[in-house]
Amino acid sequence: MLRTSIRSVRALGSRPAAAVAGRQWQASAARRAAVFGQRFYADDKKPLVDEAKLPAAETLTAPTTPPPPPPQTTPAATITPEQAPLTPPAPGPAVVPPPPPPAPPVLPKKKGFFRRLRNLLLKLVLLGVLGFGGGVWYSRINDNFHDFFTSYVPYGEEAVLYLEELDFRKRFPNVANRVTGRRADTASEQVNIPAQSGASWRVADGDHAGRQSSGVAQKVVAAKDAVKETVKDIVKPEPAAVTKAKKETAALPKVEATDAALEKKVKDAEEKKEVAVIPAAATSSKAKDFRAPDVNEPSVWPPASPIDPLSVPHADDAIVQQLVHMLNDIITVINYDGTADKYSQTIWKAKDEVSKVGERILSIKSAAEEEAAKQVKARIDSFDKHANDLVSRLEAIMLAQEQQWRQEFEAEVERLKHNYDEKIKLIQEREQKLSEQKLQNKLLEQAVELQRQFSRDIKKHVEEERDGRLGRIESLSKAVSELEKLTTGLNEVVDTNLRTQQLHVAVEAVRASLEDAHHPRPFIKELVALKEIAADDPVVDAAIASIHPSAYQRGISTSAELIDRFRRVAAEVRKASLLPEDAGVASHASSYLLSKVMFKKQGLAAGDDVESILTRTQTFLEEGDLDNAAREMNTLGGWAKTLSRDWLGEVRKVLEVQQALDVITTEARLQSLKVE
Amino acid sequence: MADTTTPATTVTTTRPVSRPVSEALLNEKWDRCFSNLIIKSSLGLGFGVVFSVLLFKRRAWPAFVGVGFGAGRAYEECNSSLKQAAKEIRKQA
Repeated sequence: MLRTSIRSVRALGSRPAAAVAGRQWQASAARRAAVFGQRFYADDKKPLVDEAKLPAAETLTAPTTPPPPPPQTTPAATITPEQAPLTPPAPGPAVVPPPPPPAPPVLPKKKGFFRRLRNLLLKLVLLGVLGFGGGVWYSRINDNFHDFFTSYVPYGEEAVLYLEELDFRKRFPNVANRVTGRRADTASEQVNIPAQSGASWRVADGDHAGRQSSGVAQKVVAAKDAVKETVKDIVKPEPAAVTKAKKETAALPKVEATDAALEKKVKDAEEKKEVAVIPAAATSSKAKDFRAPDVNEPSVWPPASPIDPLSVPHADDAIVQQLVHMLNDIITVINYDGTADKYSQTIWKAKDEVSKVGERILSIKSAAEEEAAKQVKARIDSFDKHANDLVSRLEAIMLAQEQQWRQEFEAEVERLKHNYDEKIKLIQEREQKLSEQKLQNKLLEQAVELQRQFSRDIKKHVEEERDGRLGRIESLSKAVSELEKLTTGLNEVVDTNLRTQQLHVAVEAVRASLEDAHHPRPFIKELVALKEIAADDPVVDAAIASIHPSAYQRGISTSAELIDRFRRVAAEVRKASLLPEDAGVASHASSYLLSKVMFKKQGLAAGDDVESILTRTQTFLEEGDLDNAAREMNTLGGWAKTLSRDWLGEVRKVLEVQQALDVITTEARLQSLKVE
Repeated sequence: MADTTTPATTVTTTRPVSRPVSEALLNEKWDRCFSNLIIKSSLGLGFGVVFSVLLFKRRAWPAFVGVGFGAGRAYEECNSSLKQAAKEIRKQA
């Protein structure tokens, strides 16, 4: 397996990984087999191995492949490319004739190369197309990828845009159509205004033209024209005259004789088209100044005198007034129409009728008024009668009520009076009782006071008698106490004497215990005894307190021990006597070595060096001068001091104890002196 | 060294607290240094031997180098401990 893989790598070293993966497919495997075959023939060793192995490999990869016929293929000098791959064990036969195969493979090799190239290209194209398609598809999904794809892949943006447009069209087909369709419409279909539309000299045909054109503007125009025309038709002959007449009859009560529509139209006509008014004015002027008809003209009646406007004597009524106005309006119209003669008769009649109507209305009015007055009178009478009745009845009721209230009030007053009387009686009784009680209380108090006074008097008498005797007893006790004092004073003297003696003994005991011992021994018992004997002597207390607790707990070393220990310490100190300030290993070693060859001093040697200090300390120790020895050792420094620290501590303890004992003995002596 | 250690032991037996006596401080340091030296140099020797066997075809010098390293390290430690002690003493003073 390993070998085959290595071989495959060797054979297809330059191919991409994807191609390697594809190797497992039948065709590619076959192709490679051909390649192996060539390589294979080059080295003679492998065929044997392969012959044994290849079938297994083949079964592994493709079990369906028919087993190659080993002997038949061998003679075929011209191995077709299809055949060559199919026979993985081909190398087997190749062993038999090694020389012939190399010749035929040359052609397949070339073919194979081109084919491979072609296949490679095909695959590349396929991959590219797939990749491009995938990219387009994915860019529809992922925005980030879309940006990347459109900006970095050539033709990517176009493809994506095209796809998006397709999608958009599919989703909104009508929208897309509309957008495009409208554009086309705007391009081609423009608003055409027909030539006949709008205002033209042919006003009568305006409506016809308007009907033809469908535009709103045209319609408006047509409507205007129509209005104009109708106005002209209706108003032209008379409006001017009417208006004139109106102006003239301004003094007369103004009446809306003409209907609103007519007037409006007239106004419109005036405002919009003055052209239309001007000829009308002309006609009116023509109508106004009448002249006798000429010969060629038909005979014309001279204008009749105008009809007088109607005036009614009692025009207070609104209806009558309106009627008069109406008639007057008609009269004015007729007057200015010039047909007064024609209508005068009827108008007169109408006038009469109107006046008659006015009179009748007046008579009806007066009748109604009379009747109303009568009714009002009757009503007032009845009201008066009713009012009188009501007043009398109310008075009677009020009287009855007043009487009732008075009775009730009296009864209530009576009841209240009774109540108050009862209350007053009760209060009086109680007050009496209270005063009696008070009096009794006073009596009792007085009795108690008297008793108390009596007992006080008795007590006073008794005490006076007793005081005399008590005084005597006190003087006796005083004498006794003085005696006691004397005895105690004597006792004290004896006690102090004893105590001082005991103190001396105790101090001596401590000293003895210290001096006796050959080994350090705790002398705490002796110290406790000493403290007890000294009671609360401050000096002794202070002296004991100055001793380090470890000294009496463990005992202090004797002078012999101290000297012995000093020797050891001195040996160590000497070893470290030559050390510099910041000593390392080398200086320590050199100091150790050199200290061995140093001369030793004797007696009280002068000098500040370690050796002389040690010598002096030793002499002091030998003399028994512990104090000085400690002082000397204290002058050491550095390592020497560190090494001798413990010894110094011991010496100090001993010195402290000695000092304390000295102090205590002195104190004891002082005490004994004091007593004497 | 034996003569110095014996009294220290006697003293420590008498004391309940096993604090080294002041005069034995230096000796104790020396003891530590020596034990350290032995341990370090034997460790170095071991490493040197292993290296010489594994890498250097059983030459002798790696072993010596190991010993040297060990001893040097021990010396340095001892030196530093002594100096530290000296510093502390100076601080106390």
